[in-house]
Amino acid sequence: MTNKTPITQDMIDLVVARLEALPPNVAMSVGGDGGLDVGELIKRVKACDEVGKQIIEMQLFYLRSLKNLSPIENVATNN
Amino acid sequence: MNEARRRSVEVIDLEKEKATRDKVESYLKKKDPDIIIFNGHGNDVSVAGDDDKTIAEVGRSTYLFKDKKVYVRACRAGKKLGPDIVNNGATGFVGYIQDFIFPYDKDSIHKPLQDEYAKPNLECSNQVGISLIKGKSIKDANDDSLKMFKQKLDEQLTSKSKNSLVATCLLWNMMNQIVIE
Repeated sequence: MTNKTPITQDMIDLVVARLEALPPNVAMSVGGDGGLDVGELIKRVKACDEVGKQIIEMQLFYLRSLKNLSPIENVATNN
Repeated sequence: MNEARRRSVEVIDLEKEKATRDKVESYLKKKDPDIIIFNGHGNDVSVAGDDDKTIAEVGRSTYLFKDKKVYVRACRAGKKLGPDIVNNGATGFVGYIQDFIFPYDKDSIHKPLQDEYAKPNLECSNQVGISLIKGKSIKDANDDSLKMFKQKLDEQLTSKSKNSLVATCLLWNMMNQIVIE
């Protein structure tokens, strides 16, 4: 699963904002790079290196998929 | 491994300093296991063991996986190593075509299955191994795992969780998990 859409500054800013909202005790295990804390993740996203691009791709894929992911909830109607 | 021991399935656990290419190849030749599970760092063409040294790679001894069900939880091993293993006669392969990514709580690093951040992704991927040990086919083991991914993803989407990082990783890993037969 890869996305060839060029990465824009808006995308980077969006992902950074999402990462900044994480609690400080959270880290991520990303491939061979092992554990990266929030600060390091943000640094890599801003640098748009291989790990940064992967994090961006992962986050954007999730956000784009949201409309198909939301579980169906019972909705009361007046019909 | 707990599931295997519960079922009295013989387990050969090559961890830490035993996770070397020589030992892996030696055990594959001598013990002829039905199921092989690797858990380590990896890339498109190989998986690493102790000290990040390669223990299995494309074009080297992948014939040793003949007639075996193989699960590799290592980044991107599904891209080239998986197809090579199946082309050399493995019954089937489950792995990942992108990095396997999961969040964790730095304060719970030694107890991943008690870590609410790490647990969902690890449980879903562990399900492949558990289903294989229960005697299921490689396809069914993959399906069981994917079913759990979807279930956990649903739980995350309906939970009062303050952030969506677990769900993001669940979706990523689920979409990148492949089965080759």
